[in-house]
Amino acid sequence: MSWNKRIAIIVKLFFSIIVIVFFYWAITNNMLSHITNEATEFLALLKQHITIIFISGGLAVLIAVPLGILVTRPMFKKVDWLIVNMANLGQTIPSLAVLALAMGILGIGIKAAIVALFIYSLLPILQNTIAGLESVNKQTIDAAEGMGLTSLQILWKIELPHAAYSIMAGIRTALVINVGTAALAYLIGGGGLGVWIFTGIQMFDHTYLISGAVPVTVLAIAMDYLLKGVQMMVDPKGLRLARKIQHMEE
Amino acid sequence: MESLLNFINQNAEQIIQYTIEHIELVSIAIIISILIGVPLGVYLTTNQALAETILHLASIIMTIPSIALFGIMIPLLSIIDQGIGFLPALIALILYSQLPIIRNTYTAINNVDPKIRDAAKGIGMTTFQRLIRVEIPNGMPLIMAGIRTATVLNIGIATIAAFIGSGGIGVLINQGISRSNHTMVLAGAIVVSILAIVADLILKFVQVKFTPKGINN
Amino acid sequence: MIQFKQVSKVYNDEVQALRGINLHVKEGEMAILIGPSGCGKTTLLRLVNQLETMTSGEIILHKENIKQIDKIKVRRQIGYVIQSNGLFPNMTIEKNVMIVPDLLGWDREKQKKRFHYLMELIGMNPDEYRRRYPHELSGGQQQRIGVARALAADPPIMLMDEPFGALDPIIRLRLQEEFLQIQREVRKTVLFVSHDMDEAVKMGDKIVLMRNGEMMQADTPAKILLHPKNHFVEEFVGEDRILKSLKLYTLRDLVKEVNLCSITDINDKPSINLDASLHHVFSMLLHQGYQQLAVVEQDKLLGMVDISVIEQFIRLEQQKLL
Ligand SMILES: Nc1ncnc2c1ncn2[C@@H]1O[C@H](COP(=O)(O)OP(=O)(O)O)[C@@H](O)[C@H]1O
Ligand SMILES: [Mg+2]
Repeated sequence: MSWNKRIAIIVKLFFSIIVIVFFYWAITNNMLSHITNEATEFLALLKQHITIIFISGGLAVLIAVPLGILVTRPMFKKVDWLIVNMANLGQTIPSLAVLALAMGILGIGIKAAIVALFIYSLLPILQNTIAGLESVNKQTIDAAEGMGLTSLQILWKIELPHAAYSIMAGIRTALVINVGTAALAYLIGGGGLGVWIFTGIQMFDHTYLISGAVPVTVLAIAMDYLLKGVQMMVDPKGLRLARKIQHMEE
Repeated sequence: MESLLNFINQNAEQIIQYTIEHIELVSIAIIISILIGVPLGVYLTTNQALAETILHLASIIMTIPSIALFGIMIPLLSIIDQGIGFLPALIALILYSQLPIIRNTYTAINNVDPKIRDAAKGIGMTTFQRLIRVEIPNGMPLIMAGIRTATVLNIGIATIAAFIGSGGIGVLINQGISRSNHTMVLAGAIVVSILAIVADLILKFVQVKFTPKGINN
Repeated sequence: MIQFKQVSKVYNDEVQALRGINLHVKEGEMAILIGPSGCGKTTLLRLVNQLETMTSGEIILHKENIKQIDKIKVRRQIGYVIQSNGLFPNMTIEKNVMIVPDLLGWDREKQKKRFHYLMELIGMNPDEYRRRYPHELSGGQQQRIGVARALAADPPIMLMDEPFGALDPIIRLRLQEEFLQIQREVRKTVLFVSHDMDEAVKMGDKIVLMRNGEMMQADTPAKILLHPKNHFVEEFVGEDRILKSLKLYTLRDLVKEVNLCSITDINDKPSINLDASLHHVFSMLLHQGYQQLAVVEQDKLLGMVDISVIEQFIRLEQQKLL
């Protein structure tokens, strides 16, 4: 085995050990005990957390994807760049600021949290939908037009399959960010697992901290893996191969 | 709206103070991140196996919500009595900066036209000369883009870090929430948003400045 | 100057790119490597500046085995020009051209002088281009800069890998002419890869024909054209090889070997200078339908040339080269 590979394995091992040691430490010190001791509350908070994520995320998908399709149609060519730039700008605004603004306008509660997360999720999905649709090879579309496909057929049969990978990447980014932002929802009275984390911070109670933070972390990483799987699945096989070959040639 | 302007007016000094704290925290974190991330990114171009591992790890770290990372770090750092305050915030910011900086540096160096690299070798440049004279200058736009992404990200996370006592603009939001002072919360949100947008614009400008003249992107 | 001894190269334990190459390129000689794509020309070139390491065999530069010399040092004594110029986009033209002298630590004044000299040599105004960037130049200009960069530290050896291959035909011809001119002045030992037989005939002191990593024939252009060693060479140089060989000779060469026809009534016949290539003479004879052309030197009529005279000369050359 080459030295390079050995170093890589050592690094991997090192980080795995850190994770194992952490869990060993957390468990032997009863840091995760609230999850079992207060299972009902835990499940309620978890449910709330997931509800916030999926309602806001689902609404965002329903709005952002059609909007992305719309603005990439020829008649909207002129506003296209404006939308892209606004989405870029919007994403520089910190998530906490968006939550705070939502509270300032809508007051306290789970609704304000959902609205904030919804708006924050719109941006990456919109951005990736537009990017995905615009990356479709113009010659492919030309060829399809030449064969007599209608615009709608081109959208369904060519553009959307081509853009699926990118659209899914946007959804993935949005939902993973949502897991974290939902953990801040507590601050504006939105509940979720953030309740335990912030309680832990305020009371300097490590058990609350770990019992809240670890599930949120696991949720985020699981969400990422799950959606990565979906992302691979929606990517047509031919395109996947093309991407791979292009990658190798680079 | 009026009360908001009033609030900002009356507390201008305090707000500026928080903003400076915020900028300090983020700047220190970014400088350290560059010192770690750029050399690491460069090194990774010579070790494909490690590159995959490190980039994967960095992307997992990026996935962890910042408030959850603080939640995990507080008990750990309490062991050395640094559970809250500047240190956990700094560590978190550095961790989150790694993915954009390492990945962009790695990609930037790897993307240098193989023919240009070949010419540099053929001319008799040493590996180090090649790096300094050809690869890094040509990869500069992408490396700077990574630093920009990391900075904007850090400004947001530093806001959250106020809840674990790191200071900065997040304090306004934190106090506003605990005092149910909506104006204060709004003021904090707006100031930090402006800071993020301005930082993004400035770094975009710097990115253009740092791009060697001959490279058109 | 450059000597290859039984040089072989295998890539990744599977692709045999070169098999037992033996070749000697003398000082000041321009050797053209030519052959079908994938025959190993680039590989042979890159073994010299050690961008690739050979699997077996030896390469001797200046009586020194390249394995014994430091890689970086070898490379700085070798000019390297590639098809896509490989100029550094982040550097100005001056920085690009002066990169090797800079690496060698030349002082500013010396660099300036050299830059001036080189730019004049390649026919570009030094002050106009000094501060420009590669992407602001045309393909032909970039390639000239590539040549200047390779010549910068006055290396005794030049490696050129299809240096003019990406240019359009007219520019390519011009750069070939220019480089021949430069070569007459600087007299480098040149290994030049080409895939164009006309280019090889025009530029080469020696043509090295390769196929599948093996050397088929290494000879002067005349020998390659008039006496192809085997069927492959014959096919590669083309059926018009005799015609091509006419480019190698001028009327001056001809009059040394054979007698011109006696002078007849020249009033209706065009005259032609002694320095005209036989290719040119031949094509005039065919093209304009004259039986004969009047050969002149400084207004002095030497005799008449017709197709049979050219034929006679080529026969003679062919025999001489046997
Ligand atoms: N880096 C490499 N790795 C593997 N095979 C190579 C490499 N470079 C060249 N080859 C192979 O070696 C042979 C000779 O290539 P090359 O010297 O580039 O030929 P030419 O320049 O005559 O077209 C070809 O079969 C080519 O595919
Ligand atoms: Mg080649």
